[in-house]
Amino acid sequence: VSPRWLAGKVGAALLTFAFVLVFNFFLFRVMGDPTTQLARLPRATPQQIEKLRHNYGLDKPLVGQFLDYASDTLHGDLGISQRTRRPVSTEIKEALPWTLLLVGTGTVLATLLGSWMGVIAATRRGKPADDGLLGFSLFTYAAPEYWLGILLILVFAVWIPILPAGQQMTPGEDFSSWFAQAADVAEHLILPGIAMTLTLLGQYFLIMRASMVDVLTEDFITVKRAIGQPWDRVVRRHAVPNALLPLVTLSAIQFGLVVGGSITIETIFSWPGLGELSFNAINDKDFPVLEGTFLIYSAGVILANLAADCLYFFLDPRVQAT
Amino acid sequence: MRLRTIVALIVTVATVAAAITALPAGGATEKKKVLKLGWAQDVQTLNPFVAQDEENFRVWALDWDLLVNFSPDDLTPTPGIAKSWKVSPDKKSVTFKLIDAKWSDGVPITSADVKYSLDVLGTNGLIFSGYTSNVTKIDTPDAHTVVIHTSQPDARIVGGLFIYIIPKHIYGKESVKTLTGNYQPKLPMVGSGPFIVTDFEHGRILKMDRNPRWRGEKPKYDEIQFIKYGNTDAVIRALKLGEIDAMWEVEPTGYNQLEHASGITPVRSSSPSFTELSFNLCNKTNCPDAKFNPGVQDRTVRQAVAYAVDRNRLNAISSRGTSFVGYGLLPPYYKAFYSKPADDYPLDVDKANKLLDDAGYKRGGDGVRSKGDVKLSFDLFVRSESPSDIQAAKLIAEDSKKIGVDFKVQVVSVDKLTEITTQKKNGKMAPDFDTFVWGWGGDPYDPSALLKLVTTSEIGGSSDSFYSNPEYDQLFKEQTAEFDPAKRKEIVQRMIALTQRDLPYLVLTYDPVLEAYRTDRLSNVSLECPKPNGDAFCQQVSYDPLLTIGPGGGDSGGGSSAGIFIAIAAVLIAVLTIVLIRRRRGGGPREPLELET
Repeated sequence: VSPRWLAGKVGAALLTFAFVLVFNFFLFRVMGDPTTQLARLPRATPQQIEKLRHNYGLDKPLVGQFLDYASDTLHGDLGISQRTRRPVSTEIKEALPWTLLLVGTGTVLATLLGSWMGVIAATRRGKPADDGLLGFSLFTYAAPEYWLGILLILVFAVWIPILPAGQQMTPGEDFSSWFAQAADVAEHLILPGIAMTLTLLGQYFLIMRASMVDVLTEDFITVKRAIGQPWDRVVRRHAVPNALLPLVTLSAIQFGLVVGGSITIETIFSWPGLGELSFNAINDKDFPVLEGTFLIYSAGVILANLAADCLYFFLDPRVQAT
Repeated sequence: MRLRTIVALIVTVATVAAAITALPAGGATEKKKVLKLGWAQDVQTLNPFVAQDEENFRVWALDWDLLVNFSPDDLTPTPGIAKSWKVSPDKKSVTFKLIDAKWSDGVPITSADVKYSLDVLGTNGLIFSGYTSNVTKIDTPDAHTVVIHTSQPDARIVGGLFIYIIPKHIYGKESVKTLTGNYQPKLPMVGSGPFIVTDFEHGRILKMDRNPRWRGEKPKYDEIQFIKYGNTDAVIRALKLGEIDAMWEVEPTGYNQLEHASGITPVRSSSPSFTELSFNLCNKTNCPDAKFNPGVQDRTVRQAVAYAVDRNRLNAISSRGTSFVGYGLLPPYYKAFYSKPADDYPLDVDKANKLLDDAGYKRGGDGVRSKGDVKLSFDLFVRSESPSDIQAAKLIAEDSKKIGVDFKVQVVSVDKLTEITTQKKNGKMAPDFDTFVWGWGGDPYDPSALLKLVTTSEIGGSSDSFYSNPEYDQLFKEQTAEFDPAKRKEIVQRMIALTQRDLPYLVLTYDPVLEAYRTDRLSNVSLECPKPNGDAFCQQVSYDPLLTIGPGGGDSGGGSSAGIFIAIAAVLIAVLTIVLIRRRRGGGPREPLELET
């Protein structure tokens, strides 16, 4: 890896991050002031609200608030949630693993399944299998994720009540072992995991299918087949690795995006991840938590892009040449 | 490793995991009796100095006592930390004798705890302040006596001090700055009530165990769990499936659903809050720069609107029939002080039209009435976050059209509505609205919080109608000073009559407490707070129902069959995968070789 190339990419990522930091702060200030709601508490006196604003640091001028925010963030201090009075970093630390578990499962499954289906469809282009898979993927791709989620709940938790409809583990249960808890989490992961997978599946399928169709019409495939290699082997050994290239980038970038994009699925399935955390923070106008979660989202996208760039560097010799 | 080996491995692991889930968990020990409650909102923090939500009161009301508790019969004063009290002849001091009891950690409850709570929590607690505004001094002559002195007679001292008595030996160790900052109470949360918080996982569960030193009769349950779900739909589902025994916060849409569910008892009871149409009545002295249509300040216009708006239909549509039709400022929840006012404005469009005709308002070409420069066309602001309020506003506009009064409904954010009702100019209030729809809530027993909203002294505070009537203000003072409930009720009724005549608020509906429980899981449920058709759990008000409510016949939990189903599903998937792999292995080239020319 050329150091200059890497430095350029990292520099661009840092610059984006700095912009996000500034933008984030002013974006949420537009929403208004969390203490205004207190005016409806029958006994909250103006003095009290003033005191509260002082506690939150909301009585300082906006620029002062921003300098506080920027310096704290750079020191790794994301502030204190205005509602729970716990450090934002604690709130995020508790929520992040759950989001990663859900998004991770969804992305991995969608990538595997999507590319597998893509290969099948591309090798049977124009046949019923292709049409069926294409129709199915377009349907799940186009269906709103909340609708898919509700449908899954309706079928597998209400009509045929075999799966839990929400939460990450059975509420109030004391688990006898680590393994029992993991099994319980796995059981709770099934429905949101399927919803997540179905939502993401379509694009992986479409990309893989298109890419495979491209590769399969290339000359070297014809040559391989002409020299008498079995079809299965040609597909597995020669077509798929070449077709995977665009999928890898999509997968990486998508992973960064969906960390934030799972808000609806998390809310529907009561999944206590970052999505639910930000949803509640929006309702409560909890600025520090919102700034914290959005910072994580942005960092996720920026890092994923950086990772995709680097991956490409290794996977595609053409990038190295430039 | 080949792809199919990996697939086979994954399938095997999944099958084993599923099979293990299917096994019955743990040994069969003596089963704890657990009451499982579901909610969509979570307690944000247990710290009483900074918390602001109703959810907190639901928990605190089980963990702590007040100096004087609320009776589940009619919410009147009943012994709490004080077992008896005596009002001095000049009514300016009340002597309380305290019970002989211990905190859950074994430390005796003394007068020092009471003084600390009223002084420190009553001054610094965001939602506990204001109650002690008339208190001048709190004496503690001995460990079991507290004397509260006030600057003027204040009936709120008995039954209206909604400040929990918290243990001084815990909170007194911390500075006020810490307590109003990031302090989190340590668990178990030391208390005097029948249950104390022992476990709190944010966003997941809050557990309360029986207080080992609880002084009263033993509760039927060993543990209460508040289980957090993502939204109310999820809670309703959990209730239907039997994951939980009861739900304490049902929304109108969900309530309609639960009314038709089998095995579930929905409960609808009155609450101390209402939704009102508020008019801008600020006069030139109080608000020289206020902006409003002078039409709203004509009492006849307000009365005509009150006759024209069909509150029954409004209740049926905007709150789906779950609220109660409003008759004045004080909901029937205030059983000790309520009676239906004489001026209750039944629907009467003809009378409304006649009132406006007689007052000289003539209909114009567009059907809207006017007199001189004053056209009866008003802004009607409503909060964007409340669909039911928006619906109510539209119905008001629709009904008023029939009498030639035009309401322009404007949906705005809470912040905007707060701004236009509380803004100031040159140090004086300058509200910028004609009318709006919003609501208020009061305290369980004492009506002062609601009655105060339309006093002159609250202009610049919580008054949003800017009503000012010296007669009403005088009566407010009198009722505050009246310790005799019967006499106080009579004064309160005179105040209600004044507000029904002048209509600073047209109270549309009284908000309900909506809850539901599984009929098979709970036994001994009675409707209290206030009897005979109140809240089954006395949420936020009293722990008494949870001493008598016990488990019913139905079994809680379940879900053992789920594991088996999963195991079967996993096996099916495994078989399918193997078949697929086999087929592929056996298959030869499927695509005919085509050479491009």
